Amino acid sequence: MEGDIVLAAKFIGAGLAMIGALGAGIGIGLSVQGALQGMARNPDAYGNLLTNMILGIAFSEAIAIYCLVIAFLMLFVL
Amino acid sequence: METTRKWRWGKNRWIVLLLIILSVFAINIAAPVQPHIQVAPEKIIEEPLFNLGPLGDFYLVNTLPTLIIVDLIIIAIAFAVRQSLRKGDLVPRGIAGAMEGLIEVLYNLTESAAGKHARRIFPWFATILILVLVANLMKVLPGMETVGVMHHYDHGHPIQNLFGNFYTLLPGEAEHGDGYILTPFFRAVSTDLNFTLALALISVFMTQVIGVQTQGLRYFTKFINFTTMFKKPFFGFMDFLVGLLELISEFAKILSFTFRLFGVMFSGFVLVALVITLVPIFVPSMIYMFEVFMGVIQAFVFGMLTMVFMSMATRGHGEEEHH
Repeated sequence: MEGDIVLAAKFIGAGLAMIGALGAGIGIGLSVQGALQGMARNPDAYGNLLTNMILGIAFSEAIAIYCLVIAFLMLFVL
Repeated sequence: METTRKWRWGKNRWIVLLLIILSVFAINIAAPVQPHIQVAPEKIIEEPLFNLGPLGDFYLVNTLPTLIIVDLIIIAIAFAVRQSLRKGDLVPRGIAGAMEGLIEVLYNLTESAAGKHARRIFPWFATILILVLVANLMKVLPGMETVGVMHHYDHGHPIQNLFGNFYTLLPGEAEHGDGYILTPFFRAVSTDLNFTLALALISVFMTQVIGVQTQGLRYFTKFINFTTMFKKPFFGFMDFLVGLLELISEFAKILSFTFRLFGVMFSGFVLVALVITLVPIFVPSMIYMFEVFMGVIQAFVFGMLTMVFMSMATRGHGEEEHH
């Protein structure tokens, strides 16, 4: 019985940890929006904007990946 | 004048399609089994190989053989490029040509970000990028994470004899104490936290070294900033606090480098494992394609961030640009 409660708490915790991915999703969306608007106004800056956009996406994506790591820790390690 | 060859992928894509269709029959012969997912790399031999004193025991984990193969591939590429340079062709072909294109793109990228310090930064950038790229692309080789030794496990799977001493796992759960799980010989290197942490430490430490090499001891005023404290007390104090934040962000860099690569590659591994057991045909091919894409992107991001941080370290603290 107690083991079942702990197991259920692990799954709930892993699910709750992934809420943090919400912020990362918004961040990635905003940075892509900015980069696309920049590309539309100035197509010459395409290459430059693309690399910087990927860098920015990598930064915001890291937040989602921290959540994912925490979720994995709860599911497979603890 | 060399003739342009025909585009070979026109033929090869039918081979890929044929392989995908063949997988329909393959899952009837050997049904996919959900692997035992573990964050730490599995030990191939249970006993430690040797003792490292205060650091603890050294085990033969299954990311080490993969790392050796990755190194061998990179050394083979290096030899191929050397052979081609020896011949003195002006236009390198094959692997050498591909590497020339890659290096040229990377060097131009470094030069546009770092200017005259590009020669100092470029080796670290390119080394990290090529190592992580080859390591991430290794997972599409057949036999990775699927061939290994069997272990007894409480909630394991039943096994079936193929021939001789070779067995295959069957899906479903065996009776208690009878089951086996698989410990693969090869597991993708980037799913080992030690590998990514080592790369992150190298990257951040060499950023400091390059900062000191280009700016001298003045580089450390970025962290402990007393320079403006006496001229304008209030903003000087703010600069001091900002410097402390920079110091913390150096440690945050190590953390984010480590967990970004590890998290993406490990979640990719879990995703492939789950999707293969849920939908064994067609869908895993697309997931694999996505994983190859993510591997390339992560290698690029790891190298690119190293390069950007290093080029930021070569520049002064903004103050000297004004006068």
